[in-house]
Amino acid sequence: MSHTLNAKADVEANAGARLNASLDDQLAAQFEACSTEPIHTPGAIQPHGFLFTIAEPSFEILQYSANALDLLEPRTGHSSPAGSSPQPGDDPRAMLRDALDQIIAAARVECERAQDLARPTLMGIFELGDTRFDAMLHRSRDVLVLELERAERSTGEGFAAMQSLVRALGEGTHRSAPLSSLCETAAREMHRITGFGRTLVYRFDADGHGEVLAECIDGEYESYMGHRFPASDIPSQARDLYLRNPIRIIPDANYTPAELQPTSARGVRATDLTFAGLRSVSPVHLEYMRNMGTLASMSVSIIVKDRLWGLISCHHAGPRYLPYSLRLAAEHLGQILALQIESRESLREAEHGLTLRRLLVSLVTSTAESGGAVESLADAPEDLMRFGSATGAAVISEGRLRLVGDTPPPAQVTALAEWVALQARDVVTTDRLGEVYPPARAYAHQVSGLLAISVSQLHRNFVLWFRPEVSRTVLWAGNPNKSATRDEGDGMRLHPRRSFATWREDIGGRAEPWRASEEAVAAEFRHAMLNIVLRRAEEVASLAGELGRINKELEAFSYSVSHDLRAPLRHITGYADLVRDYDGAKLSERGVRFLQNIKDSAKFAGTLVDDLLAFSQMGRTTLRPTRVAMSELVQSIVRDRRMDPASASIEWEIGPLPELIADPVFMQVVMQNLIDNAVKYSSTREHPRVEISSEDTDEAHLVRVSDNGVGFDMRYVNKLFGVFQRLHGMEEFSGTGIGLASVRRAIERHGGTVHAQGELDRGATFSFALPKAARATAAGTPHNEA
Amino acid sequence: MLKPILLVEDNPNDLELTLIALERTHLANDVVVVRDGEDALDYLFSRGRHSDRGTGNPAVVLLDLKLPKVNGLEVLREIRGDPQIKSTPVVMLTSSKEESDLVRSYELGANAFVVKPVEFTHFVEAISDLGVFWAVLNEPPPGSMRSHRKHG
Repeated sequence: MSHTLNAKADVEANAGARLNASLDDQLAAQFEACSTEPIHTPGAIQPHGFLFTIAEPSFEILQYSANALDLLEPRTGHSSPAGSSPQPGDDPRAMLRDALDQIIAAARVECERAQDLARPTLMGIFELGDTRFDAMLHRSRDVLVLELERAERSTGEGFAAMQSLVRALGEGTHRSAPLSSLCETAAREMHRITGFGRTLVYRFDADGHGEVLAECIDGEYESYMGHRFPASDIPSQARDLYLRNPIRIIPDANYTPAELQPTSARGVRATDLTFAGLRSVSPVHLEYMRNMGTLASMSVSIIVKDRLWGLISCHHAGPRYLPYSLRLAAEHLGQILALQIESRESLREAEHGLTLRRLLVSLVTSTAESGGAVESLADAPEDLMRFGSATGAAVISEGRLRLVGDTPPPAQVTALAEWVALQARDVVTTDRLGEVYPPARAYAHQVSGLLAISVSQLHRNFVLWFRPEVSRTVLWAGNPNKSATRDEGDGMRLHPRRSFATWREDIGGRAEPWRASEEAVAAEFRHAMLNIVLRRAEEVASLAGELGRINKELEAFSYSVSHDLRAPLRHITGYADLVRDYDGAKLSERGVRFLQNIKDSAKFAGTLVDDLLAFSQMGRTTLRPTRVAMSELVQSIVRDRRMDPASASIEWEIGPLPELIADPVFMQVVMQNLIDNAVKYSSTREHPRVEISSEDTDEAHLVRVSDNGVGFDMRYVNKLFGVFQRLHGMEEFSGTGIGLASVRRAIERHGGTVHAQGELDRGATFSFALPKAARATAAGTPHNEA
Repeated sequence: MLKPILLVEDNPNDLELTLIALERTHLANDVVVVRDGEDALDYLFSRGRHSDRGTGNPAVVLLDLKLPKVNGLEVLREIRGDPQIKSTPVVMLTSSKEESDLVRSYELGANAFVVKPVEFTHFVEAISDLGVFWAVLNEPPPGSMRSHRKHG
């Protein structure tokens, strides 16, 4: 680019990395020197005008540009007022001196108008001999800087140019047009106003590389459309200068600088020429221009929100001068363009922010409604991904992972989430994940852009959005890795690059960058989710407290039942026995039977209490799973039944039984109840038969107890496993009606299921299935039923 | 003279049934009955209304778990905490087979834990076994007192 100092590399690391490996330390030192070159105090100007520095309030000339000798002799003393100057006569020097006096007098007036004069102001047109000059004045620190440039055309031209600019760019019609067309208009207008052979509008990306967005060129000029210029083309201090002074021009790269000369000892100083239109530029930059085939250049800064957004850059193959008025128009063009861009960016950000906020509200609301589990975000995958303009997302909630859209496998996402956690930041964003987290290179096609929020480290809640790699081919205006070359002769002097030929680079591992509005709303999103998570944690804690209290009450209740309810039952049977013992002889046969009924009823009530307590305990006791050999367990129960005369006639058939991981006490209760039921309901048969068998599936162990007893009507199958549910009269079959309820509770505590199949008068089959992978959650948590 | 059996029982029905059961065991030991935990401790430490009973420990303490004022477990703890009486055999009598009571009783040093059976005949058998073991077979610790049967 024409206006840049090329051979610099930013002192920054990435620029340093670009350095050809062959560059030795000395060359690197020159890069360093280049970026620290005091370009704002070059001590010289370009010779297409004249420059004087003037002291205040004496208005004594401190410095003059050496080319001013062509105009006048240096004045060392205080200039006399214009009116009392010597007669001009025919002496051209006297004439010039007189004219300069007039200009300085005008400068006095200008200063008295109390302007701050921070930027050059046109004081007017003055004649020196037969030449007309534009005289510009500005203040640089403690001196006034007076610049004279030949006024070539009428100043009206500039104003006309500006009017057309406002029409072309200033109106609101561009608001809806794409950025590229806005930039095209700007390039075209710049071309029209200035007549430069090539005008470019380009934008700096986050790395400082410039990308050409629009251009307007005369036929013979090579197109730079879509090309990129490496950040190293513009050293950092030049960028600073561009931010402060939005315009600079070099009419002829082959110029010989005119040194600033002091008029006295006071004039020996390094005057800051930041704002001087005539400021001389670095010789390295002039070489860069010549390498590029450009003898004249001008650039106008596009400053958006106090940031150097881009430049409008003008090149001309031959020398080309632009008077002050047109430069002013060009500068305005830059400002109008900047304002348009700023308003469009703001509007776009605001609109995008609004969309995001709507999505945020919808996501947060549905999460809150679903009970506050961060996990439930994954239930609305479309909204979730739209929120991050992502193609995939991951929700990690209390360590559990849920993936939506296009994502790497869970293990890799989990590892990525761990990396995010290590960043210890609320919001983590990158559009080139592979550079900061190398493992992500393996799945760069899915995730190159990452937006992650860490909702709560404590509860391990994270939400990650993924953007895929956007592969693109970048056209560099010259190989950016060879931005400098060595001098063939001395081998040490630094030269700017000589090649601007198109150089292609394929850039991978990058995603669409995250916008500021996206990061801001993501932070809001995190905040909202955090509130939900914390509230939920509070609720869970209070619920746990409540449960604990209820459990305690329940324990106290059953404790009191077991003591206080059993005592009177025991007394009833005790006294009934005593009556029989002491006075049995005096009782009638009926009296003895009544006494027996009293005793039996009390005993039954005692059994009922015991069964109920056992049932309640089955819900509350913590499971202690271990290896249970069902075969042994069943054999020992069956052995007892065989000894019992009541069930001696039963024919047993016991198949191979599995080894289960379960609580042995619970399994004892289960098998005992099932076997006792089978015994009981088959006891009325002539050839009672009980069969115990098992079956294995992939997921579960199945154990069955079948009998050829009275069976049941399948219509009542749902009642079988309920507490106190009986399908038979008490006189038919005894029992408390709690046995099968206990079986069901014991099996369900293990995460299993129970099943009953029967037919009236044709026997019944009761079975249960225990999952092979016993669920950890089911094993540790007691139920809270009574 | 045999050392007495100290029966700590608040429920009148249980008291009567237990005394009948003890009677049927034909043990020669006197049975001293107290009705709550505090009274039991007063007896054991010869204080309060038992201050004039002299010294000496009972052959065995049959201690109900649920008692007014000071419950059975607290009485047991006091007994095991005193060097004079800590070696006196203590049998916990209770209505329930609540596991926590059982564990706690043995932790505190109970010699036996008996769930009162619903069936009276079973109860008599249990009491009889206990009496024979603790009041007859078991050699009492030194300092055990012998006295006549009396109802406190």
